[in-house]
Amino acid sequence: MAVSAASVAGVFAERLGPERLVVDPGALSAAAIDGHTPRWLVRPASIDHVAAVLAVAWDENLAVVPRGAGTALGLGPPPSRVDVLLDLTALDHVLEDNPDDLTVSVEAGITAGGLAERLAGRRQWLPVDPPGWRRRTLGGMTATNAAGPLRARYGTLRDLVLGVRFVQADGVVTWGGARVVKSVTGYDIPKLMVGALGTLGVVCELTLRLHPMPDAEQTWLATFTSVEAAQAFVARVVDSSLQPTRLELLNEAALRVCHAPSAPFGVAVAIGSAHPAVREQGERLAALGSSEGVRIAAVGDNVWTHYDTALAPAEGEVVLRIGSLPSRLADTVKVIERALPAAERAALITGCAALGTLRVAITGADPDTVRRLVEDLRALTGEFGGAVVIESAPTAVRTGLDPWGPVEPATLNLMRAIKQEFDSRGVLNPGRFVGGL
Amino acid sequence: MDAVLEIDLPNRCAVVQPGLINLWLTTAVSDRGYFFAPDPSSQMVSSIGGNVSTNAGGPHCLKYGVTTNHVLGLEMVTGAGELVRIGGKAAERPGYDLTGTVVGSEGTFGLVTAITVRLLHTPEAVKTALATFASMTEASEAVSEIIASGIVPAALEMLDAAIISAINASIGKIYPDAADAVLLIELDGPRAEVEAQAERVATICRRHGAVSVTVAADEMERALLWKGRKEAAGAVGRLTSSYLLQDAVVPRSKLPQIMREMKAIAARHRVVIANVFHAGDGNLHPLICYDDRSAEELERAKQANEELLGACIALGGSVTGEHGVGLDKAKNLPLQYGEADLNFMFRLRRVFDPAGLMNPDKLLPSHPACGEGFRPKRPVLPAGAWI
Amino acid sequence: MAAVTPDIDDLRLCVHCGICLPQCPTYRVLGEEMDSPRGRLYLMRAAAEGRLGFTETFARHLDLCLGCRACETACPAGVPFGSLLEATRSQLAERGPRPRAALLCRLLRGMFTEPRRLGVMLGGLRLYQRSGLRHLVRATRVLALAPRLAAMEALLPDVPSAPALPELIPAQGRRRLGRAGLLTGCIQRHLFPDVNRDTARLLSLAGYDVVVPRDQGCCGALELHAGFLDDFRDRARSLIATFPVDLDVIVVNAAGCGLAMKEYGRWMPGEAVVAAFAEKIRDVTEVLVDAELPLGPLDLTATYHDACHLAHGQRIRAEPRRLLGRIPDLRLVPLTESDLCCGSAGVYNLLEPEVADRLLSMKIDRIAETGAAAVVTGNPGCLLQIAKGCQERGLGIEVVHPVTLLARATRRAVK
Repeated sequence: MAVSAASVAGVFAERLGPERLVVDPGALSAAAIDGHTPRWLVRPASIDHVAAVLAVAWDENLAVVPRGAGTALGLGPPPSRVDVLLDLTALDHVLEDNPDDLTVSVEAGITAGGLAERLAGRRQWLPVDPPGWRRRTLGGMTATNAAGPLRARYGTLRDLVLGVRFVQADGVVTWGGARVVKSVTGYDIPKLMVGALGTLGVVCELTLRLHPMPDAEQTWLATFTSVEAAQAFVARVVDSSLQPTRLELLNEAALRVCHAPSAPFGVAVAIGSAHPAVREQGERLAALGSSEGVRIAAVGDNVWTHYDTALAPAEGEVVLRIGSLPSRLADTVKVIERALPAAERAALITGCAALGTLRVAITGADPDTVRRLVEDLRALTGEFGGAVVIESAPTAVRTGLDPWGPVEPATLNLMRAIKQEFDSRGVLNPGRFVGGL
Repeated sequence: MDAVLEIDLPNRCAVVQPGLINLWLTTAVSDRGYFFAPDPSSQMVSSIGGNVSTNAGGPHCLKYGVTTNHVLGLEMVTGAGELVRIGGKAAERPGYDLTGTVVGSEGTFGLVTAITVRLLHTPEAVKTALATFASMTEASEAVSEIIASGIVPAALEMLDAAIISAINASIGKIYPDAADAVLLIELDGPRAEVEAQAERVATICRRHGAVSVTVAADEMERALLWKGRKEAAGAVGRLTSSYLLQDAVVPRSKLPQIMREMKAIAARHRVVIANVFHAGDGNLHPLICYDDRSAEELERAKQANEELLGACIALGGSVTGEHGVGLDKAKNLPLQYGEADLNFMFRLRRVFDPAGLMNPDKLLPSHPACGEGFRPKRPVLPAGAWI
Repeated sequence: MAAVTPDIDDLRLCVHCGICLPQCPTYRVLGEEMDSPRGRLYLMRAAAEGRLGFTETFARHLDLCLGCRACETACPAGVPFGSLLEATRSQLAERGPRPRAALLCRLLRGMFTEPRRLGVMLGGLRLYQRSGLRHLVRATRVLALAPRLAAMEALLPDVPSAPALPELIPAQGRRRLGRAGLLTGCIQRHLFPDVNRDTARLLSLAGYDVVVPRDQGCCGALELHAGFLDDFRDRARSLIATFPVDLDVIVVNAAGCGLAMKEYGRWMPGEAVVAAFAEKIRDVTEVLVDAELPLGPLDLTATYHDACHLAHGQRIRAEPRRLLGRIPDLRLVPLTESDLCCGSAGVYNLLEPEVADRLLSMKIDRIAETGAAAVVTGNPGCLLQIAKGCQERGLGIEVVHPVTLLARATRRAVK
């Protein structure tokens, strides 16, 4: 039964407490997503709060957009509707901490930086570092499967989320996965939730696998005049016994913002291990470089600090996430360079060279250029089943150009069927996921 | 369907058919310095399709992760008869992670017809040590401290006295006969890292009462230590005609505790429980021995099994770590999941297999009341609050 | 009463771990659980416990087993698969159905295991080979109609004529290691007489007085494998009777015969004479491995195929390789899956030519990969089978018994 907006607000206030509900028009319009102003902004303090909000939304056919730090709201097409903006940042507690097991259970609104502080004292970490990670929430990073240079060694949250507690579209609190590092009991629900952009459920709690921090980490930078040479070097490193924690490709502009030595291309190789092993691998890397005629020099660890700051998501920029292959890195970079006019060559190209994933950040490009770039890149990556996703872009760019790109029809049908099963009313983030889900 | 369809070393991956035996993939790429990391003890027998279906683990998944961490993409025919390709070589793809969802679904979603897997570069150095203990508890304490100290061994396996005697009878005297427990500890990686960690591991073991810590001198010795471990489940045939093999997991810091409880359970039900397991990730494999000709003994074994499982879950563990649920453990899922959780899984299954054709009765328990309808609880909203 | 019931405790050793599966040649080829050791044990146990009758299907799955015993090598629980199989086959021989294969088996038994009869047959064969009839038969492909006869025909090498060895060949030189009896075998005697000659020569060079009983018959292995236990025991007892009791060792150069003879005691328990005889059985490579032999150089790249009944049955792997390694200039290159059956398996290649051919094809693939000019193996069945495979592929590879190369090397030795 449809009820009035005032009644909905009443229930929210009654269930969550009036202080957790924002109805002030000014505050609401400041929270607009792609021009859609939410009707209510709620700040739940518990999973039960979230469940109550979703139960109402389900009954009333309201569109709910979950929000963490708000970093990745530019991912996906503009929403078709926004009724309730679900601000999860008050869910920021550590629920269960098991240092000896290297696991931790947290609420989804905790920031990665907040967790890192808590763990630093015991030399453990959650090695996930998308640019600007400190202020991003783990829930948001999970929903977008955000990753940074460390994925070269540690994978992404897909590999680190052991258990999830989430609220389904109709308000049912659900648990999937386990609290131990290894479990195959039941379906691997955490995998389904990681990267699903909250379209199947609002993740409220995460049990995470932690890693021991290496005793030491040292970074070297190899510089190149061509991207082909950089790719060849990466192939040699990957095919060697070196075990980098990060193996990142950077173009000239990216090197510049990282305060690294200037060159057309650079590959930053970080080795994290016991002290003698770092030293030994550094020597090995140098030997590899000299045998290939590659210039390699040690750089300070602050290169990663600069990387993190300079590449953190910024208003108005266009960021692309490209799933290429290690063997096609150079081709991919060439397509980018070709598509961007000289004035926009300041694009920051970075990426996990070991896995062939690239990130391009462009400021001030006109929508047509971006469209051409994305189309060219999709033509290339289409050859080998790769993908190009617009991670963030001004609304104008994302209207008329599918930020996710094509998904094979049979596969998309399956995804659609899953969405239909769990959110037939389109309550969760409607219109924002692949194929308009 | 046991062919290697493609080996793509520049992109460190391979495409294989599901019937390919796990070990054969590593054999196919080892001379070029690569390996397929998931190594269930059955790897000389089990197929990669089977590994995908159960999300198989193995001794080395402590460091390298289980099957799902190494599967990039799948081609499958769903229970609805649709051929779908999910995932692929490229690491970034839009949409739900169907690959991750299908791995471990025990064939209940459909038939996997091709698998794209990640290959890893063979580590530079490998060191395998054997630490001998006078008690399981001491060995368990050593495991807990190794993990807590931040060392991630490639493998950290425990074998108890019963298993040791069976293996020694089978393959020859590989492990010290008198030991109550041995830890098989493998470190791999860059040489200097392995050396540094080996020192620390040995120190920790000695601190927890290790009677001896020896390191395999060469590849032959190392292979023999592993042969014993990998054939342990078969060698148990020398102890008993039948056993219930459990696969529960406990948080690894709880190992000493569960070992004590297990001893008590075995005594209470008068059964022999042999242990050979992945201590590093707390994944137990108690083999509860019984005589298959005695219904009474089987009953006792079953009771011990259920009690032990309950104890593991009470410590925050999981029903199965790597073997899968199958028919036998489906009834145990409610130990770990509530009605809403199971309901979600049922519905997910229905999406892939609307007619319920694929491996019916496996993985999910049938509901006592209506066969399927686990009833999730929705929050109760105040009636008429907004009329 | 011929049939023996398989030991139920031995059957219960199997805990179904499956480690045997990929080692089983028929499982590799057919991919059926029932054609794997685990599956067969399951069936055998069901039959032994009366849950399964001796049906044609049951018989078929057991017929398909090569009896290679690769599963015994693999089995961590120590299931004695070979003897369980033979016991079950003895039950089948008595109570089971009699399909064509079994009848043919009877026929072959009569021929192969009676050395004299085989000799007469082979006389005819020599005529066949020389008369050009062979070309005619092969050209007209009439044999394609009868695959089993075709299989047999394809196996036959050019048969040399075989004068008998003297009954006593005294040791050469000053060393005296003892008196060694020599089994001349059925197939070996007629198809590979040189292998017996070379064996005798090497033994005498090593310091043995070699005794070759003239009237020795067949060891009975083929009957044992087929489950005809009474016939097998008769043959075994008469063979034993022909060998003097004062021998120090009895040397066998055919892996299948050696294994059957080493296991005589199992089938004739409590017979002291049998046990004493069985204890003396040695493969020729076991006897020669540490013997002093004058070996000259052979410039040859060779690879070694493990005969199943040596590697799996008798656990002899190192000895032949070490012996070959002692020949100067000979390069021994590894053969991948050297202990996977070549498909010969006694008369299996005649009874189940399809499976045998697929195994042979796998074996020849592996051999071709090595680039070796010679394949060395210690069993006449393997020699025939692999030679046939190489010939069909047009590979100019020599297929020889280890003693052949050793003898050749001794002839190259500087006097």
